[in-house]
Amino acid sequence: MRVKKLTVLGLYAALSLAIYAAESALPPLAPIPGFKLGLANIVTLLLLRRYSLKDAALVLAVRILLSALLFGHLLSLFYSLSGGLLSLFAMFLTGKLLRNRFSALTGAMGGLAHNTGQLAAAFVVTSTPGILSYFPLLLPAGILTGLFTGLCAGFADRFLPRQEF
Amino acid sequence: MKTPKNVITAAILITAFLLLVTAGCVLFLLAARKDSDACTAEIYQDGKRILSIPLDRVSETYTLDIRGKDGCVNRIEVRPGSIGVVYADCPDRLCVRQGFVSSPSVPVTCLPNRLVILLRSRGAADDAGPDAITY
Repeated sequence: MRVKKLTVLGLYAALSLAIYAAESALPPLAPIPGFKLGLANIVTLLLLRRYSLKDAALVLAVRILLSALLFGHLLSLFYSLSGGLLSLFAMFLTGKLLRNRFSALTGAMGGLAHNTGQLAAAFVVTSTPGILSYFPLLLPAGILTGLFTGLCAGFADRFLPRQEF
Repeated sequence: MKTPKNVITAAILITAFLLLVTAGCVLFLLAARKDSDACTAEIYQDGKRILSIPLDRVSETYTLDIRGKDGCVNRIEVRPGSIGVVYADCPDRLCVRQGFVSSPSVPVTCLPNRLVILLRSRGAADDAGPDAITY
């Protein structure tokens, strides 16, 4: 990996970790496990638009590992990985299909996929089918927050200076 | 740059899909809210049902402690017709913030302690047959 690329991706990883930290300092929006804005997703979506799936996956993995070490416990690593990877692939495919237009829609698909993955992971951990009744709450929540983060990523792509490597 | 036609088609399809999912979820929630009279609270830990409390037969409020494998504690308060977690030693205490539930639409969950409180309406479980038959 070239030094410039390492530096730029490292900066993005730091940025997404900072956003994640700021968001977890806020009080929860609603008392539902797994319900949050997912602002750090803006960085993932931005990297997906500008660079490649590989680069976005790398930064996402670094962010999830570091955030689990710094703020969470071992289980939250499992939830985040499952949700994060599923959402990454969903956004990659949607972004390709839409040729990077309509970033809000890409974000919404990502939010939907994230909450699906996270709830599936929670189902595996608790092995209680009843937990699946969170789906009707978490799916629209993921779509709504995803629309917002997608919109943010679109604006960020337009206004943030681009670093080539 | 003009947006290609197939991209617009894809965008419309994705929007329709998202709207469909949202509408389905909202309808499901509205349907689940109705049957809330006679509920049994089932407490699951690590996927196993450890307690089952018919909430409509509770006449006095009481609390009980559920202890997890690694010494985690959830204090559950049982009230006539509703149930909730009042204390937990997990880091985020989302289960406490979820408050008291009295209908089967949403369970109370404590993911760190792997505890799920689920309400099941007995009407749906026991007399699943027709309300009345006429000849």
